[in-house]
Amino acid sequence: MLRDGKAITVSGITREFGPATAVDGISFEVDRGEFFGFLGPNGAGKTTLIRMLTTLLKPTSGQAIVSGFDVAEDPARVRKHIGVVPQAMTSDLDLTGRENMDIYGRFYGIRSGERKERIEYLLEMVGLAPRADDLVATYSGGMRRRLEIARVLVHKPALLFLDEPTIGLDPQSRRVVWELLKKLMQGDSITIFLTTHYMEEAELLCGRVAIIDAGKIIAMGSPAALKAGIPGNDIVTLKVGGLTDEIIGAMEKLPFVHKVSREEDSLAASVDNGAENLPQLIDVVRASGGAIVAASVHEQSLEDVFIHYTGKSIREEEARKVSFLIGAGMPQRLGR
Amino acid sequence: MTKLLAVIERDLKKFKRNPVVLAMSILMPMIYLVILGNSFQGKLTDLPLAVVSQDQGPYAKRLMEYLMAVQAGPRTFLVLPMDDQRAAVDGVRAGKYKAALIIPPDFSRRVAVSGKPDIGLFLDNTDSISADTIRNLIDAALLSIRSEYVPVREPTGEPLLRDINLYGKVDYYQSLVPGVVIMAIFLGTLTTGAFNLVMDRFLGIEESYLLTPLSKGHIVGGLIISGLSITTVNAILIFMMSVLITGIPFSKGVLNFFPILLVVLLTTLCLLSLMFAIMGRIGHPRIVGVLSGFLNVILFFPSGAVYPVASFPGWLKSFARINPEAYAVDALKSILFKNAGMGNILGDLTFLALFTVAMMSLSILTFKRTL
Ligand SMILES: Nc1ncnc2c1ncn2[C@@H]1O[C@H](COP(=O)(O)OP(=O)(O)O)[C@@H](O)[C@H]1O
Ligand SMILES: [Mg+2]
Repeated sequence: MLRDGKAITVSGITREFGPATAVDGISFEVDRGEFFGFLGPNGAGKTTLIRMLTTLLKPTSGQAIVSGFDVAEDPARVRKHIGVVPQAMTSDLDLTGRENMDIYGRFYGIRSGERKERIEYLLEMVGLAPRADDLVATYSGGMRRRLEIARVLVHKPALLFLDEPTIGLDPQSRRVVWELLKKLMQGDSITIFLTTHYMEEAELLCGRVAIIDAGKIIAMGSPAALKAGIPGNDIVTLKVGGLTDEIIGAMEKLPFVHKVSREEDSLAASVDNGAENLPQLIDVVRASGGAIVAASVHEQSLEDVFIHYTGKSIREEEARKVSFLIGAGMPQRLGR
Repeated sequence: MTKLLAVIERDLKKFKRNPVVLAMSILMPMIYLVILGNSFQGKLTDLPLAVVSQDQGPYAKRLMEYLMAVQAGPRTFLVLPMDDQRAAVDGVRAGKYKAALIIPPDFSRRVAVSGKPDIGLFLDNTDSISADTIRNLIDAALLSIRSEYVPVREPTGEPLLRDINLYGKVDYYQSLVPGVVIMAIFLGTLTTGAFNLVMDRFLGIEESYLLTPLSKGHIVGGLIISGLSITTVNAILIFMMSVLITGIPFSKGVLNFFPILLVVLLTTLCLLSLMFAIMGRIGHPRIVGVLSGFLNVILFFPSGAVYPVASFPGWLKSFARINPEAYAVDALKSILFKNAGMGNILGDLTFLALFTVAMMSLSILTFKRTL
């Protein structure tokens, strides 16, 4: 079935909605056992891509082989082998956690004895055993998400898709979900495909990341390789009293400075060896007539990779808007 | 099979956890019964009336002229002259005519000579509004003959109207029971089956079910079966309650349980499939809300449940001919009030079955297994 060892092979996949192109000729491969992530801002096309890979949307053109089967030609076979946690909360509020899982298990035709055992094990694993017989309506967002992850593992899929699994969760719940996903990777030989717009999520979990913007992959590789692929390795942020263009010009002349961007009275410079070179930077600012108010150095993140390639940041603000919509029970169709 | 059962069980569990919906679906049809029972007193037209005149005498001619005048004026009935008395009465029994008027050979002679003339009126009294209307008009006709043609010095020549009810007595309230049962079925099929699909879609839950190995048949079939069981139980409950409330006597008709259950089952299946065909692609419950009022009006009122189909204008009559609720009402009325056997309702059942098959195919065809 997986003769070539690939869990996912995608070539030139495209999806149009009327005149708009949501996913624009994307190609990539995911090996078995990989934790692969798609990182991109809202509206980048992540959900559309995952829906095509999981047979919910027909590609306009291009091809995707998932678990050895073509998603367009053999959708039923594909569905049998994968587990998918969609972006929106999809557990039944009127059923208990255990009932949710049991019904799901029966959809896959798992026999009763095996099903009960597996459900017990999974409920324990996601920490919901004590609340298993409460209605899902009484669960918190984090609990609901964990239940949904457990639910799609009932039939032991070899390939798991997660569409923004921590969107709309508080930081505490988010960390619990991350721990859960890490634990999953250590156990069974499972392949995980995840999308997110949180760079720390991609950085923490994924072995390999594709950065997606406006329906196209703009960079792909391990987080370390992606960061190494852009000039500099640290970001120095300086808050400067009396910041002028001359100060920025003077900084850009330094050999270890690659790029300086300005936002109001702050500047961010991507540099080599930020900690060692910080005193020299401060000297230059002072020499050009600026006063240092605050300074910080941090390692470059995937966010900086995204900024490097697109010139904009993966805005957190937009993310908050979406999580608000989802919290309010908006359908997936609207709360992209 | 386990998959289908899982879909059904999920749906039934969710229904059970919403007791308000449960209570409403029982209460509302009962309220309908009371409201309808008191609000319809409209004027009837075009009731088919078979007339067999075996008398060539002047008074019979006068009576005919009077009937023709009513037909030309207020158009209450449609006079259909006939020769065969048997055929006329059978026609009433078959529902072709609302009544048959038999003028006996000695009618004129008995009006003229001081004897009491007899006239026969066979009424389809299961439709109490039209039966009453026809009786009153014939009464008036006979009175007018007397005042015009029968001299005052012959006061004994009073024509006597003897009306013969073909079936046991049915009052207006009782005649509404089939309609109320159909209403219960309509409401049941509207709030189960396809509606649950619309809700899942609206809540975004549908996506997780489309991701499982469930087939179209599992999803549509499962929802239809759970809707069928909920609605049938509901409709039978409402049937029994309204029989008790309106005091329909426990004659053979009411106790004819198997045909009644069959009609209820088939009607439910029919309307569930219709709802699936209409709502299979809808994504917002508000659209269902708007549709429901509309569907109720176009299905229920032209069904003959409150007003005889015969009095509809032509275009509405044609619509009644393809309205499943009209066939369901007819079948229930036949069983309840006319003691009809399976043979008599076979036509109705056939139509309902064909309609179901057509709608079911349409809904599976149009149902998309993608977003
Ligand atoms: N059903 C749809 N109809 C029309 N446009 C859509 C639909 N789904 C997604 N889009 C558009 O496609 C683009 C990508 O959306 P989506 O895949 O949801 O992005 P993401 O999940 O990365 O936030 C957006 O511009 C969105 O508006
Ligand atoms: Mg999305």
